[in-house]
Amino acid sequence: MSSDHKQTILELNNVGFGYDRSKPFIDHLSFSIGDGEYIGLLGANGSGKSTLLRLASGILKPTEGSITLWGKHLPSYNNKDRAKLLSYLPQMLDVNVPFTVREIVSMGLYPYDIPPEMKIDEALEIVGLKEKAASSLATLSGGEKRRAFIAMTLLQGAGLLLLDEPLANLDIKYRIEIQRLLKKLQETKNISIIMALHDINAAFHFEKVMLIKDGSILGIGKPEEVLTAALLKEAFDVPVELQKTSSGGTYIRYEM
Amino acid sequence: MSAIKVVILVCISVLIFFLTLFLGPAVINPFNLTPMEKEILLSIRLPRAVVAALMGMALGASGTVLQGILKNPLADPYILGISGGAALAASFGMVSGAYLFGAFSIPLTAFIGAVAVSVLVGAFGWKHGRLLPERLLLAGIGLGFLFSAGLMLLISVSSHEGSRRAMLWIFGDLSSADWSLIPFGLAFIATGIFISASRAKALNALMLGDEFAHSLGFSVHRERLFLFAAVSLMTAASVSLGGTIGFIGLLIPHIVRFFTGGDNRILIPVSALCGGAFLCFADMIGRSVLSPMEIPSGIITAIIGAPYFLYLLRRKDVLGS
Repeated sequence: MSSDHKQTILELNNVGFGYDRSKPFIDHLSFSIGDGEYIGLLGANGSGKSTLLRLASGILKPTEGSITLWGKHLPSYNNKDRAKLLSYLPQMLDVNVPFTVREIVSMGLYPYDIPPEMKIDEALEIVGLKEKAASSLATLSGGEKRRAFIAMTLLQGAGLLLLDEPLANLDIKYRIEIQRLLKKLQETKNISIIMALHDINAAFHFEKVMLIKDGSILGIGKPEEVLTAALLKEAFDVPVELQKTSSGGTYIRYEM
Repeated sequence: MSAIKVVILVCISVLIFFLTLFLGPAVINPFNLTPMEKEILLSIRLPRAVVAALMGMALGASGTVLQGILKNPLADPYILGISGGAALAASFGMVSGAYLFGAFSIPLTAFIGAVAVSVLVGAFGWKHGRLLPERLLLAGIGLGFLFSAGLMLLISVSSHEGSRRAMLWIFGDLSSADWSLIPFGLAFIATGIFISASRAKALNALMLGDEFAHSLGFSVHRERLFLFAAVSLMTAASVSLGGTIGFIGLLIPHIVRFFTGGDNRILIPVSALCGGAFLCFADMIGRSVLSPMEIPSGIITAIIGAPYFLYLLRRKDVLGS
């Protein structure tokens, strides 16, 4: 299941993990992400999306199998070196800290002894928060908060972003805003992204999606190949109908 | 500009430290010292001011660190039961009259009590090979209740003089401060502040959450362990120097945060300085207003500090929320 053309950045090989020793939660899972790829990770609640991202980021240790980053065993990296290559943004539902936007963004420099090329102002500019640099994080909208943390990861300079539901609890304006920002980063800075999400319609905008259930991959590939009515029913345990828009896009419908 | 505010806070703190040397029940003119005044200054006021400054610095810094690692704005250095253990051990020495080591007896018993409790709280807070903040907090609160019950029992069955001394000490008694303890206090407190300040970036990241801290390249469990050790060391040293003093560890970090913002690289040293200056000031008031009687510093810190904190709370956003 590895990428055919692009250089592999992160590879999970036969990874197993369980919170409870007796039963595995992630079961012999293998996949890889290539340089500059943008993958949507889809699955029902409790399917293992967050666990998978935590394993991939090194927060959780697999009980079986191995994870490699740029061809090297993930645990063999020291923390700071890993942080320069891979950045993980957890779900941000209750981040309430007494920091300003500039202070949050500048934390992206923490892994470095010698500051990298990108400056704090540049990162703030890219995410459109330059005017809010001195504002307290707590005064920002949900979308702005997430943009602030995305700016932090930009400054961190990692080529691979693992994002756990960055669109959760945002209204449509902010969801579109975050998706456009991430797409722009992927295109202009060649950043590879794996993003867990709930919104199936949003997943159609990805070049690649991965659908998981009970810690196993149901399908991985182009959205139109993976997000079929049959596989979606299996993943979410509810029948949905796929419809085409006049412009050729796909969206899901369901009966009430 | 927070940089200007930081400079002003630092200057005020240093100024307060020197002012408290010359103000008090008897005002001393620094430019015209009599031999008697010189003696009072060097043997009584200076060591007392240094002890107050060290204790206040330890409490200000450890309060800041603890609020960060526990992610709880209500945390103070005493919430982990460290002071409770120290108070129980020291009071046991006082009421039983067991002064085995002369002037060092009380500080030594308090320090041993504080370190023993730190290890105990750490052991209860330890699970799956790591220090868990919620467990640490609950273990500290549980042990704190146990120690205060023990302390009350000890005081209620002890002689009048013994229990009065113990009560005074519990509220912070600087009247017996002299040079003998300062090198030990300085060594422990300076080490604690150095460890905390050198790990301020990690503390900032830990405040965002363990997963953020991991992603930013920190070893979460190791950093938390170092910071907990620093807090334990500072709290133990502070309690052994002059008893338990409330308010500083809890509210000085909040007050300083109003002026400097939340970055622990600035907050830890400035909270330490302001805590030190504030305790010097409170001690000066405590020995002046009802002279020759002394009011324990812990009472003064709360009487002055709490209304000021409530005033700031009305005027500004607390914790950025």
